[in-house]
Amino acid sequence: MATMGHNNLNAKLVLLGDMGAGKSSLVLRFVKGQFLEFQESTIGAAFFSQTLAVDDATVKFEIWDTAGQERYHSLAPMYYRGAAAAIIVYDITSTDSFTRAKKWVQELQKQGNPNMVMALAGNKADLEDKRKVTAEEARVYAEENSLFFVETSAKTAANVNDVFYEIAKRLPRAQPAQNPAGMVLVDRPAEGSRTASCCS
Amino acid sequence: MDDSLSYPPIDPTNFDLIIVGTGLPESVLAAAASAAGKTVLHLDPNSFYGSHFSSLPLSDLTSFLHSQSSSHHSPPPSSSSSSADHIAVDLSSRPMYSDLDISSHSPEPLQHSRTFNLDLAGPRVLFCADSAVDLMLKSGASQYMEFKSVDANFVCDGDGKLSSVPDSRSAIFSDTTLGLAVKTRLGIFFKLVDGHLKAAVVGSDGGDESCDESGRISDEDLESPFVDFLNKLRLPPKIKSTILYAIAMADYDQDNMEVCKDFLKTKDGINRLALYHSSVGRFSNALGALIYPIYGQGELPQAFCRRAAVKGCLYVLRMPVNALLMDKDSGSYKGVKVASGQELFSHQIILGPSFIVPSPLLKSSPDILQAKLKDFGLQDFRGKVARGICITKSSLKRDVSTFLAVYPPKSLYPEQVASIRVLQIGSSLAVCPSGMYVLYLSTLCDDAIQGKKSLHAAVNAIFSVPISGTPENSNTDESENAEVKPTLLWSALYIQEMATCSFDSIFSTPMPDGNLNYNDLLDATKKLFHMMFPHHEFFPETAFTDPEDDGGFDQSPSDDSLNS
Repeated sequence: MATMGHNNLNAKLVLLGDMGAGKSSLVLRFVKGQFLEFQESTIGAAFFSQTLAVDDATVKFEIWDTAGQERYHSLAPMYYRGAAAAIIVYDITSTDSFTRAKKWVQELQKQGNPNMVMALAGNKADLEDKRKVTAEEARVYAEENSLFFVETSAKTAANVNDVFYEIAKRLPRAQPAQNPAGMVLVDRPAEGSRTASCCS
Repeated sequence: MDDSLSYPPIDPTNFDLIIVGTGLPESVLAAAASAAGKTVLHLDPNSFYGSHFSSLPLSDLTSFLHSQSSSHHSPPPSSSSSSADHIAVDLSSRPMYSDLDISSHSPEPLQHSRTFNLDLAGPRVLFCADSAVDLMLKSGASQYMEFKSVDANFVCDGDGKLSSVPDSRSAIFSDTTLGLAVKTRLGIFFKLVDGHLKAAVVGSDGGDESCDESGRISDEDLESPFVDFLNKLRLPPKIKSTILYAIAMADYDQDNMEVCKDFLKTKDGINRLALYHSSVGRFSNALGALIYPIYGQGELPQAFCRRAAVKGCLYVLRMPVNALLMDKDSGSYKGVKVASGQELFSHQIILGPSFIVPSPLLKSSPDILQAKLKDFGLQDFRGKVARGICITKSSLKRDVSTFLAVYPPKSLYPEQVASIRVLQIGSSLAVCPSGMYVLYLSTLCDDAIQGKKSLHAAVNAIFSVPISGTPENSNTDESENAEVKPTLLWSALYIQEMATCSFDSIFSTPMPDGNLNYNDLLDATKKLFHMMFPHHEFFPETAFTDPEDDGGFDQSPSDDSLNS
């Protein structure tokens, strides 16, 4: 859920899409400006955070990657919960990945937050000669489902930052939190020694 | 996504560890083994995470309870699958629930079925200082979850009234219902306990255990029943009951030698007081000692599974295991055969508590196998837990939506041998539609009759139960009068088996116990881990402190963080 304070928004953003569509590559490009030709299946990263300044606010994205749990359709409900935005990624060289992307959209419409900002990203746009999904086909689908659509390339960085900026702009500014935010456990080294005692 | 989707074959097919079931112990083990660098395949026959520890929509909860109330000799015999070097032994499940009793007095809860996240193993809370919280922080699972304070804590006194459990010494001393003499005795008690705990800290630092003059309570007292210790200090019954049942969370009647199966020793009683006390104020913005996860307790297994996945654990839900593959010669475990027909291999296996290898099948197996599997399935039963889930539209206590209430032994009826604990959770924790409340009840019992009797006594004490046939809105104006009990809209009462860990060549994890927190379960889980992987640390300290580990996720506490 996007939460606001002093024009600062915190927004949970989730990535969905077929294995190998380039979800992690998009995030790595956006967060670290990196691209790895042979990115391994996602292991080792669950969270990225990145702050963007848009016209009237600072948006801090907490970006959740699937950690591979999508591979056998085993994403936990925890993954979608409270997400303010989602990027559904497919690979323009794979019609299967586009079909799967549509299923993810349905899943989000069924389970997710109704105010969620959704983006459809046709990734690997640098591989024009291997293209199997036309931009037109994807655009029509996106319009029908009120998603915003863009073709990206994590390799060349084309449109990658734009997706995140566009989401940041579209996030509702004063969204009433559906469930008042809870508390995150954060442990810090105990100051001094806390003496265990009862009821004192 | 769609159940109809056929999975690609699981790849790879060899693992260090295969885990079947995604209950909390299994999920913690998956995360711990993955953090230790083991390759892990985590399977679950269900379409959801959490097994017996999950939080489910209302209709899913009832169908799960129904499905787990009768035994399944499910898969068609895997028959001729035995290859040259191993044979398949069919796996089935045994019923973990019985005497399921669902009453629906209003259609409303069912109409909002999907808005509910009902805990199968309720009532459960976390103490801010308990080992589940420590483990979540240490493993990094805490970053996927949010919590809220449990607003209040009540204990039922002899007259059937709920009174607040004081969570600080000042709260006790400002309590006008207590006389000066009682306060003085309480003062002595706290001084003794404080002195003992401080001395114990010093003792463990300094080393010399035998320095009794330092304020330690004598070993004789420590090993004797806590109730005797409290009696010796002449604490009045009401205070004694509060300390025993609402702070130290004793289960059985501590004053009755005959029915008490588990006397709380002074040593353990004091440790529980210390846990309660160090929980209050551990996190600066948690009001009391207790917290509850938003979206329900089922978030815990999901958080550990996500942690495991981040470390490379492979997840496949909706994938029943039909058979175990055992070595023909040695009888030792080799792998599993899953519902898709695929055979997968691992060095070790962990099974959730409901799985068994049926003994009739073993008779036809080689002798060695039979010997190996003999004890498997004959698990150690520790009695049963009677649980109840009740839904209502008004809070049992006005102005408080989330609270814990303890009904000590004998507080509801003379033969009540064990405490009944009740946890009310409001919609601000995203477990039910707004305006509704979920109340979880539990008590230990020897059999279903005893358990149901306790649950019914509690339900009748708490709710006004509509007589079937009367319209549900017969009870109007209930908000006008605080004495009117909340009307019960829907309830599910059931008896759950309590199976503990077992291990032979095959390890199996425990069922939810009758406690409020997960301390005992996590202790057992940790032991299981050390038995399987004696040379590995259970979540090494470095597992989460490495900033690269999580792509540089900024951990600096924000305004809404619980800081300690």
